[in-house]
Amino acid sequence: MSWQSTPTWHLDEATLRAYVDGRPLTIVGASVESHLVDCPECRVRLGELMSHESVDQAWSAIRAHVEAPRPSVAERVLRWCGISADSARLLAAVPAFRGAWLLGVLVVTVFAGVAALFSGDTGLTLFLMVAPLIPVAGVAASFGGDADPAHELVTVTPYSSLRLLLVRTLGVLLSSLPVTVLVGVILPGPIWLGIAWLTPALAGVTLVLLLAPILGTSVPAAAIGACWSLAVVSAARMHDPAAVVEPAMQLVLAGVLVVAGTALVLRYPSLDHLGSHS
Amino acid sequence: MNTVTLTAIGKAYGRVPALSEVDLVLAPGITGLLGPNGAGKTTMLRILATALAADQGEVRVLGEDPGTSTGRTAIRRRLGYVPQETGFPRGFTTFAFVDYLAILKEWTEPTSRHAEVRRVLDLVGLTDSGTKRVGALSGGQRRRVVLAQAMLGRPDLLVLDEPTAGLDPAQRGRLRDVLGRAGESATVVISTHQTEDVAALCERVVVLDGGRILFDGPVTELVAHAEGRVWMAAERDPAAQHAWRTGTGRVRNVGDPPPRAELIEPALEDAYLLLVGDAARDAGLEAVS
Repeated sequence: MSWQSTPTWHLDEATLRAYVDGRPLTIVGASVESHLVDCPECRVRLGELMSHESVDQAWSAIRAHVEAPRPSVAERVLRWCGISADSARLLAAVPAFRGAWLLGVLVVTVFAGVAALFSGDTGLTLFLMVAPLIPVAGVAASFGGDADPAHELVTVTPYSSLRLLLVRTLGVLLSSLPVTVLVGVILPGPIWLGIAWLTPALAGVTLVLLLAPILGTSVPAAAIGACWSLAVVSAARMHDPAAVVEPAMQLVLAGVLVVAGTALVLRYPSLDHLGSHS
Repeated sequence: MNTVTLTAIGKAYGRVPALSEVDLVLAPGITGLLGPNGAGKTTMLRILATALAADQGEVRVLGEDPGTSTGRTAIRRRLGYVPQETGFPRGFTTFAFVDYLAILKEWTEPTSRHAEVRRVLDLVGLTDSGTKRVGALSGGQRRRVVLAQAMLGRPDLLVLDEPTAGLDPAQRGRLRDVLGRAGESATVVISTHQTEDVAALCERVVVLDGGRILFDGPVTELVAHAEGRVWMAAERDPAAQHAWRTGTGRVRNVGDPPPRAELIEPALEDAYLLLVGDAARDAGLEAVS
């Protein structure tokens, strides 16, 4: 039960108008506000003075504030890294920026790194096998009809498919490279060994992107994974797992990267459709 | 003014033809696309929406050639598309999902983009669902989210693949209102299995079967095909191609009526069933001869 009674006095027209127009009323402003809370009659008069436009604008501003999408943790981190808000939102839709994926990358990489630290060649074999395949798997999980649930909707927007592809690939690399590089450089042996896996990783990512319109992303990623694993295991059997990333192999893989990258840029319009696998 | 022209287009998936020698011209207004499953409706809509390229023939959409990169981009700037099925990125709210598509549709200025997102959510009756996660919405609400993104920027061409699937009658009524208003200025193509939606909304209907156009004309003209071929009886008539017991307990028969049959006014559904049934029968006769 309210003990407050309706005020016996009312605001004059000039004061109400000034309040509606947002003109400064200094001390009177607070008094007007508290009077309006208690006085239904003045609230009605206030409503009559308010234009529909100003009410709509006020409501629109409230909705804009309430409904504006709150940036996710991943978006906030990306924006902190200097990436624009729009690009951060595009990246937030990528599976490689979900917590489960990031945790998986961390666990696998750290496990392979620890194994390499304590088990010599066997551990190094595991690390060299896993490190280049993490970004390849990330791209496979982030691009194409079998990975992006809204792929068909995204395909028919005017946003450049090549730009979107590069943004998403950059996102995958950002999400997986730092921890893998960090684990790589603390491995025993020459420092270059810790980053030598980058060339096969980039070559693999580019090949997946090139073949995506024809085969989807999963099949090329699986094939590249199988071939790379076979190469690393074969090198390990000859007691030199690092042979797969030594200078001669680096040149070969860099050649693959350049050829696949050029072909990708040349045929990027084909990414503009759903592809024959859809 | 024609906005879409398809000339002798064909599309096949491997050796399976989906569309063969299809000609179609569309102008602003609402066109309904009917046909059985596998008729080629979705393939045709994907070609119109620049999601797929035709294997043969010539396609012009909004005066542009979707075979070129610049043509595709120009079309996509004026296109709204509702695919038959779509998923949603995990964790996105309704507002964030439509906002995400708005960014991809080149709405770069955040204030006007957010205002546009609110407008389209209001349009489809999702005013209060902006902050809800898409994953928590009902099937009908998710369908309306997809429709909302299609309405971004008031497109000149709306390509809608079964937009009313999963909607309750009230939602379908609202959707008809929205599409009816959009069709006053834009070219709207709706593929559906709901003949009543076509009868309520469309001035023109195209019936596809086996990748070919069986009928293309006004809805009233298609309904006229069934004049004198729908009758009520106590039991299913052996002469009927289709028959079903109605709520009154009597049987509605569609086909070639016997003498003195109790003929009734046909509906679009009757005409559609007869058209597809007659085509299947003719194809069977051709195969035999």
